Amino acid sequence: MAQQLPKVNELGFFEIRLESIGGLGANLAGKMLAEAGVMGAGFNGVSFSSYGSEKKGSPVKAHIRFCDMSTNIRDTSPVERPHVVGIFHENLSKTVNVVSGIYEDSTVLVNSTNNPEQLKEKMNLVGGTIAVIDATNISLEENNRVNMAMLGALFRLCDFLDPQIMKDVIRKSLEKKYPQAVAPAIRTFERGYDEVKFQTFALPQGVEMPAFVRQDTPVLGYETQPMGGTIVNPGNSVLKDLSISRSGMMPDFDEDKCIHCAACDNVCPDFCFVWDEGADKRGRPQMFLQGIDYQYCKGCLKCVMACPTEALSDIRETEGYADDKRVAHRHNFAAGV
Amino acid sequence: MAIEIQKDNRLGNVEQRIVYESGNEMAAYAAHQINYHIMGYFPISPSTEVAQFLDLMKANGQHDIKLIPADGEHGSAGICYGASTAGGRVFNATSANGYLYMLEQMPVQSGTRFPMVMNLVCRSVSGPLDIHGDHSDLYYALNTGWPILMSRDPQAVYDMNIMALKLAEDPEVRLPVLVTQDGYFTSHQKRRVMTIAERDDVLKFVGEHPPQGFPDTLDRNNPITVGPYMNEPDYINNCYQQSMAMYKAEEVYDRIRKEYADLTGRDYPILDMYRMEDADVAVFLMNSASEIIKDVVDQLREQGIKAGSIAPNMIRPFPAKAIAEALRNVKAITVGDRADSYGGHGGNMVNEIKAALFTHNVKDTLVISRVYGLGGKDFYAEDGHALFELAIDAMNKGAVEKPFDYHGHTPGDPTKKPERVLEPMKYEELNTGLITVTPNEETGKLKVKIPPLRALTKKPKRIAPGHGACPGCGIFSGLELFFKGIEGDIVALFHTGCAMVVTTGYPYSAHKATYIHNLFQNGAATLSGVVEMFWQRKERGELDHLGLQDDFTFVMITGDGGMDIGMGPAIGAALRNHRMIILEYDNEGYMNTGAQLSYSTPMGHRTSTSNVGKFQGGKVFHHKDTAQIMAATNISYVFTGSESNPQDLLKKAAKAQWYAQNVGLVYGKILITCPLNWLSDDKEGTSIVNSAVDSCFFPLYEIEQGVTTITYDPEAKGKRVPLSDWLKMMGKTKHLGKPEYEETLHSFQAEVDRRWTQLKAKHEHPAL
Ligand SMILES: Cc1ncc(C[n+]2csc(CCOP(=O)(O)OP(=O)(O)O)c2C)c(N)n1
Ligand code: SF4
Ligand code: SF4
Ligand code: SF4
Ligand SMILES: [Mg+2]
Repeated sequence: MAQQLPKVNELGFFEIRLESIGGLGANLAGKMLAEAGVMGAGFNGVSFSSYGSEKKGSPVKAHIRFCDMSTNIRDTSPVERPHVVGIFHENLSKTVNVVSGIYEDSTVLVNSTNNPEQLKEKMNLVGGTIAVIDATNISLEENNRVNMAMLGALFRLCDFLDPQIMKDVIRKSLEKKYPQAVAPAIRTFERGYDEVKFQTFALPQGVEMPAFVRQDTPVLGYETQPMGGTIVNPGNSVLKDLSISRSGMMPDFDEDKCIHCAACDNVCPDFCFVWDEGADKRGRPQMFLQGIDYQYCKGCLKCVMACPTEALSDIRETEGYADDKRVAHRHNFAAGV
Repeated sequence: MAIEIQKDNRLGNVEQRIVYESGNEMAAYAAHQINYHIMGYFPISPSTEVAQFLDLMKANGQHDIKLIPADGEHGSAGICYGASTAGGRVFNATSANGYLYMLEQMPVQSGTRFPMVMNLVCRSVSGPLDIHGDHSDLYYALNTGWPILMSRDPQAVYDMNIMALKLAEDPEVRLPVLVTQDGYFTSHQKRRVMTIAERDDVLKFVGEHPPQGFPDTLDRNNPITVGPYMNEPDYINNCYQQSMAMYKAEEVYDRIRKEYADLTGRDYPILDMYRMEDADVAVFLMNSASEIIKDVVDQLREQGIKAGSIAPNMIRPFPAKAIAEALRNVKAITVGDRADSYGGHGGNMVNEIKAALFTHNVKDTLVISRVYGLGGKDFYAEDGHALFELAIDAMNKGAVEKPFDYHGHTPGDPTKKPERVLEPMKYEELNTGLITVTPNEETGKLKVKIPPLRALTKKPKRIAPGHGACPGCGIFSGLELFFKGIEGDIVALFHTGCAMVVTTGYPYSAHKATYIHNLFQNGAATLSGVVEMFWQRKERGELDHLGLQDDFTFVMITGDGGMDIGMGPAIGAALRNHRMIILEYDNEGYMNTGAQLSYSTPMGHRTSTSNVGKFQGGKVFHHKDTAQIMAATNISYVFTGSESNPQDLLKKAAKAQWYAQNVGLVYGKILITCPLNWLSDDKEGTSIVNSAVDSCFFPLYEIEQGVTTITYDPEAKGKRVPLSDWLKMMGKTKHLGKPEYEETLHSFQAEVDRRWTQLKAKHEHPAL
């Protein structure tokens, strides 16, 4: 017989939202979590992820609803008021309101090395519980995937689910094809489960939890949108910040070793290399590489492979490094931008 | 498909199993149980997964369906039509523009009375490309002569797919049947679904074989003529027969659904009515939204409002009488249409409902029409409340204030109007003068001089950073390297595909130069129109005020998939010899829709429609030689290139520009890495294409005025590597190193060698 869900909304659902970037395995984690609840624990449920052409490195969401077997599942809209949020990449909070719609007794799980207080700031959390797990580090140490550690932590948060079910599923799905992968995956899952730290922040007196804004709210509208969908300000993609697409590694530029051959520029898919005209030793005009605009760098490291000298090397990204070393493109902005 | 199985015998009188799957999975699951003979298909979101799941099951030996990857939806419909005339069972799935691209074939299929089943996974058909769900594709189906079954959730998708075949093949119907579900909302959301446990029980229900007694094109003893030339006065009678069969389908469906209910315990009456017995106000919606509205009905009932909802399980034939009867005592109803019939004062459903009420003498029910949920805009319970509000208001006032409107549209904040962000690029900066192209007086061929690559970093990039491609995507390094070789202004047309999608996610655009999108079957024709309009307007002096210092270079960017479905228009444009460049970036698959095989996918490569399993080892036929096909149109310049050989590509770009400005159409193909779907390390992108070049899989050459020159010969340079060296760098081809795939690898190597030898012969003999 199934356990009771700890809390449900007015339609009878316990709701979970995962916030991630494509490639970290959040969709798979969401799917496994939902299956464990529906096929393994006797709940009813529904799960889905953000749809479309989102590529690796762009923000994605996964949505899970659990209910008891007698509840009708009719709602197909995205989870707006989650009881649990799982954030796979903490810097998502720079561009996405990851805690949108939470209740004051919701739990927000973050993959991070920061402590709950710091995360409360960073996530703009007014009230609720922060749960922290250093999933990236666990996965590096165990040589496994971030989503396994996150899944372990999520099971801890969903205490109506038996982690043993998940471990059995992991074993079953891996042992035939990749028997050597079973132990690390289970260890990563268990560490995720065991190493979560919690801290609850009470909603201050007289303050209300912020209301959510529907995820399908556009910026433009029929009065402001140019006719026919035409974009009249092309090139505006330069306003985007893609740094969350990096998954741990980044290129580092050492000007002294650079021979300005442009091999890096030729292979960079994201046009991060910034050049300027200067004079060579004989005073003739020449192009010189100035540095990397990390706002757009997705950390693919193609440039490092292409560089014939040691001017480019790959390093593990540390907080603040990219901001400090960034050489910004001098875009030819229109007046007023 | 990881279907975890539990047995459940509670309902009906057949053994059932519970699975937890999405609508697409259930369509595929039903098809595999039926074991259709043939599926002709072409990928398009959100229906693509149906073919993918079937391919995966095929690789594991779970069914015998022959899956035929067509060259486009028109082709897929043709395959299905042909197959259905030949007497077996036929299946297809599509969406949106794919459906419209095959639309012309739909009345052919129904008008010649060959049954089949197709799933329409509903999605918007649109100008600005919207891939999410609404019913604008479905509404085009209304006049095709196919019965249309609706599925509101994954369970219904499964059940309807089984009933659909029986309905299509019924001797009194004999029509192709469309099964629809809502794109993403149903196709991609996983639910618990009950399935018939044994294939035999499914076959017992639908019939192990199609009913006998109908002519087919393989019966040598009874030759037939299918599809004669038939005008008046006979054609109207064919239509009358078809019309009769269509109305008959309602009755037959009603019988089949009762049989199905006895079997499984799940009943799908023609109208799904929820709390309608004594309803004062109602809402009519279709598919997924018709479920959400039931929660709203419950909430309103709790408040003492007599609310009800009504949704059809079949819309062709349209259950007009049943709807009229259901509404006879309803005071007001809001009909939500998930697509507009522009100018029709309401979508198709509201107008058909109004006609039904009129016909059946239901005069007092007030009808409000709202268009909602377009292009995948979510339908929340609060939207359902808003629709009920309208009905309640009309009931109270005894009149409808605004008979037709949209729901869910937004005016936008005037302070956030789009303003230009970047200044247009300067012509002088784009025209560096660093590249020179001069025709050789004697040979007539072009001589190109390029500066060191370093100098060209001065030229502004035509594409801005900030696009959303995956880390390490080879498209953009490839394209910009090509553009470095182009001087001056370009006008670009991009086909649908990754390059287009990741650069133009509204309201952003990464194109600093002027850009047009058209769907990837038709870009070459579209750009020819732009080119000729340029020349027309230039000659008429209408562009004088721009003070153009040079003619534009018109460039069409396409993926390899766009050269499958768009092959015809590309050849047409080449034969007409418009002054433009077609540049294909080949990533060996339909990556934008989730890595299905294209004709350019090489032999043995794993894609989502050429899976690797016990019964199948990747793609089963060889890669397309598009450069040679285009060369056969006798255009003046054809080339191949790669970012692994930058100078080579730059020179070719410069030549391409000269020919496109002075002579006519140029075609070029660059191989680029897709780390996501090649399952390769992001940073290895350049090395992988380099190996592809060095293995002679992707030789670098040009055909200038009919004469072939290999521009980089790995053999001569002592750099040639076996295919296996290249293939081991990618996850998608790892299996080819294993002994069980030796034969595939061998066949692939032999084909590469054959093409390379031929190319060398052409290089050596200008007359070839
Ligand atoms: C008529 C039609 N059929 C199918 C699609 C779906 N579709 C969009 S892009 C695409 C694949 C494009 O492949 P390719 O040209 O190789 O470009 P890539 O995505 O690999 O960059 C498909 C199948 C469509 N948009 N229109
Ligand atoms: S490839 Fe290396 S040496 Fe060449 S310009 Fe780039 S950083 Fe400098
Ligand atoms: S890692 Fe290098 S090549 Fe990749 S995006 Fe960053 S700068 Fe460009
Ligand atoms: S899927 Fe492949 S081709 Fe498409 S953006 Fe990603 S890497 Fe590029
Ligand atoms: Mg492609």
